[in-house]
Amino acid sequence: MRNRSKLLACAILLFVLLQFLPATAVAGDQEFHSLVDRVSAYYQKRPMRFMGLLGFVANRFTPPGVGHLQMAIFEGIPSFRTPPGEELESSLEGLVGPGYQPFVRVHDNRSGDLSVIYVRESGEKSFEMLIVSIDSTDAVLMKMQLNPDAMRDWMDEPVEKGKGSGHRGGSSAGK
Amino acid sequence: MNATQGRIYIKPALILFGAMLLGAFSPPAFGQNPKLDIKNLEPLAKKASEVVDVNLDGALLKLASKFMTSEDDQEGLGIIKNLKGIYVKNFEFDKPGEYSQADVEAIRGQLQTPSWSRIVSAQSKHEGETTEIYLMTASDGGTVLGMAIINAEPKELTVVNIVGPIDIDKLSALEGKMGIPRLGEKVKESSKKPEDHHEKQK
Repeated sequence: MRNRSKLLACAILLFVLLQFLPATAVAGDQEFHSLVDRVSAYYQKRPMRFMGLLGFVANRFTPPGVGHLQMAIFEGIPSFRTPPGEELESSLEGLVGPGYQPFVRVHDNRSGDLSVIYVRESGEKSFEMLIVSIDSTDAVLMKMQLNPDAMRDWMDEPVEKGKGSGHRGGSSAGK
Repeated sequence: MNATQGRIYIKPALILFGAMLLGAFSPPAFGQNPKLDIKNLEPLAKKASEVVDVNLDGALLKLASKFMTSEDDQEGLGIIKNLKGIYVKNFEFDKPGEYSQADVEAIRGQLQTPSWSRIVSAQSKHEGETTEIYLMTASDGGTVLGMAIINAEPKELTVVNIVGPIDIDKLSALEGKMGIPRLGEKVKESSKKPEDHHEKQK
């Protein structure tokens, strides 16, 4: 009985906290959901569950200047949907939609991991970064908002930061 | 003059006229395009353990210029606002000797045209590092239209291509940024006249 009360209290607290999310984040969610739906249709796979909750928790631990982190992970994607090289990249560009500029592309031959980092302007002084990281079995989508300082860090060291993105270092993407 | 003889005389005239037309309608920068075909390095990608491509084309450079607001950035901003693109290709290898000089020829070959001049070739025998800097200048000899940097280390190869007018004196403001390697004294010690080729040993 006590456990159930605790769970209920946590759920209420989470619900209340979600109400305080900025409106822009909610609008961004809709766009990200539509991107996830497109990727989902492409891979004919649903993303892992509870990603929204994971993103909400991850947002508490993002580096300075990085916020509105959203992510989706697709596991066990069919290998015929991950053709090598340029073919995959052109499929990706069709999926991410207009507005995003491909900025950094990292291909790790050891793991077969391909990460493409897209950027676009978002409002007056904010930037949106979309990281798509794919290996032979999994795909990860991460979208985040960067303030000018965080974006400047990326522009200063795109090679080093690009190497830190993707499956192995995705969590460090905004650092 | 019979019909066959007429055709013989007309043919060279037609070829000459065609060549003149091509000359008239081809862009003036033909053969002077500072953008390198970095895709030529694709075979090297198979040998590398990791390949990183950075593409900062016009739209992204415009984006970058928006957050270069501090006083320290003003020099860098002055350079990038005129640029058309910065392209970086970085290859990392598991062990030394996995790529040869012949592999780099795919890029060097493009820099052998008269409009490109090598202004720096620096070698560090101790670290096994070689840096070459090339400039493309306009036919007036003054305006720099583009730049190429080849930085070869035993386990890493980086090619940087900067497209657009560059003030070589201000280039240091972009060192270590946007994937451009730190050139240190290499540029400063080189001649500001691209015609003079300087070779130096560290």
